[in-house]
Amino acid sequence: MALITVSGLTKSYGARAVLHGVDLTVDEGEIVGVLGANGSGKTTAVECIGGLRPRDGGTINVAGMDPATDPLALREILGMQLQECRLPNKMRVSEALDLYAAFYADPRPAGELLERFGLAAHAQQPFGKLSGGQQQRLSVALALIGRPRIAFLDELTTGLDPAARRDIWEYLRLLRDDGMTMILVTHFMEEAAYLCDRVAILEGGRVVASGTPDAIATAAGGQETSFAAEDGIDLDAVGRIPGVTSVVVDRGRVVVHGDADSPQAVLVALDAQGVRTRQLRVTTPSLDDAYLALTQEGAGR
Amino acid sequence: MTATTTDTTTGTTATRSTTPAARFGRAFAAHLRSESRLLGRDGAALIFGAVLPLAAIIVMSAIPAAREPQADFGGLSVLRTYQPVIVLFATSVLGLTIVPAILGGYRQAGILRRLRTTPASPATLLAALFVVVFGVGLLVSALIVAIPALVGVGLPDHLGWFALAGVLTLLAFLALGTVLAAVVPSPQVAAGLGNVVAALMWFSAGLWLPRQFFPDWLVTLTNLIPGGAAATAMTDATLGVQPSWQPFVVLVAWTVLGALVAVRTFRWE
Repeated sequence: MALITVSGLTKSYGARAVLHGVDLTVDEGEIVGVLGANGSGKTTAVECIGGLRPRDGGTINVAGMDPATDPLALREILGMQLQECRLPNKMRVSEALDLYAAFYADPRPAGELLERFGLAAHAQQPFGKLSGGQQQRLSVALALIGRPRIAFLDELTTGLDPAARRDIWEYLRLLRDDGMTMILVTHFMEEAAYLCDRVAILEGGRVVASGTPDAIATAAGGQETSFAAEDGIDLDAVGRIPGVTSVVVDRGRVVVHGDADSPQAVLVALDAQGVRTRQLRVTTPSLDDAYLALTQEGAGR
Repeated sequence: MTATTTDTTTGTTATRSTTPAARFGRAFAAHLRSESRLLGRDGAALIFGAVLPLAAIIVMSAIPAAREPQADFGGLSVLRTYQPVIVLFATSVLGLTIVPAILGGYRQAGILRRLRTTPASPATLLAALFVVVFGVGLLVSALIVAIPALVGVGLPDHLGWFALAGVLTLLAFLALGTVLAAVVPSPQVAAGLGNVVAALMWFSAGLWLPRQFFPDWLVTLTNLIPGGAAATAMTDATLGVQPSWQPFVVLVAWTVLGALVAVRTFRWE
């Protein structure tokens, strides 16, 4: 069941159109990633969906509510972590959690969040004295303190070290298993690939691709099969295999590009030639590759 | 809201009341605690809004000559002449410089924007901040009146009118400080402008040149701004003269005008 349905969402700042008809659906209990370069409109889209910005056109339905007409009811079920939102420098970590807990009917215990976000040892530290990573973790914790049914997390793990990042990802997976729905805004592909059930790639205010991270990766880039170049390999025959798009020799290795079934076809063909490949490597395209192929960011490079 | 509608909405065991009034009360109380603590940790606010004016009144109270009636000051002692000015100093610093610095800082840091994502409106934070600053202003002003009384100089003859003038002065400065925060994006610039406006108020109230020495046109002019109006009303109340209604109207008018402008122009982001 779709918990969030967005269709034809448009938004302009003055004469500058930022969103040109964005469509997005998020099912209950799903983690959906909104990917895109800076300026692609992803933050604006999420702010419209979350009711922080009025939209110009299109429809938005979040758990049966329209953020434009029902912003207060929406606040109850939404937890939003925004970019560039700080706390007063002299407010302590535990005080911030207590303050935000007071806004909700049934808040998560502060102790659980301190533990989960590695802040227990810093509970009495003022916000201004925390490291960037600690501030970021507190910001995510505050977004989750009200037991939101839906969480919007914008650049969730910016500035976090890999270990802290993994800890937060694990916690979010637990919350997803508990039924929380999440929209993740990121330009960090590893995060999207690790956490998201589905992603939507935004480019110039439009969704240019959406689907599971695997499907998007496979659709955009083919498989790459490579092995050590040896005498006696008939490269022309390899090039004629259905599904193979190119064969090149590069620094002593044969590199074959082709569709998803091409690695197996290449190996069968080589076997028929009586060639045993050495140093065989099959590279699956990553979400990174797909993202670069699909967006302007990649075209410029 | 009746009690029957409160518990059914949440599936969990509701230990907290969920009526809108109860929820606002809880958020407001939390902000009140938080803002009191933060103001207590704000050195500049405390030094200029509380410690400095209190130190001034304590030092003056300790000097015997300052307690003697002076013919030059219309038979008032130096201490009682400067009492309204010091009340004005404390309230104007709190309203005109501390409030814009805090509010502008909150907006600049995205604190108000962040609160918009919660069920508690950022307006709740503003309300709590006003209550806390108002409370500090009231307390400091009360001490400025009480400390000279303890050394035998006596209370203002019309204490009620003096108190009313003090409260309205504080409200006018809170409103004008909020206007500064609303129309000036940078908190540093807003607080700096607040200092300039405050200095104008102190001059109008006779901090550098007692108002007895003002030419008539300057008295008329300064009576139209909160500093002069407040000083006139408080000095009359000190002397036991029934204050006229004009200064009170001036103070209320500035408060209402300021509040209207602030509400229309203030942005959360």
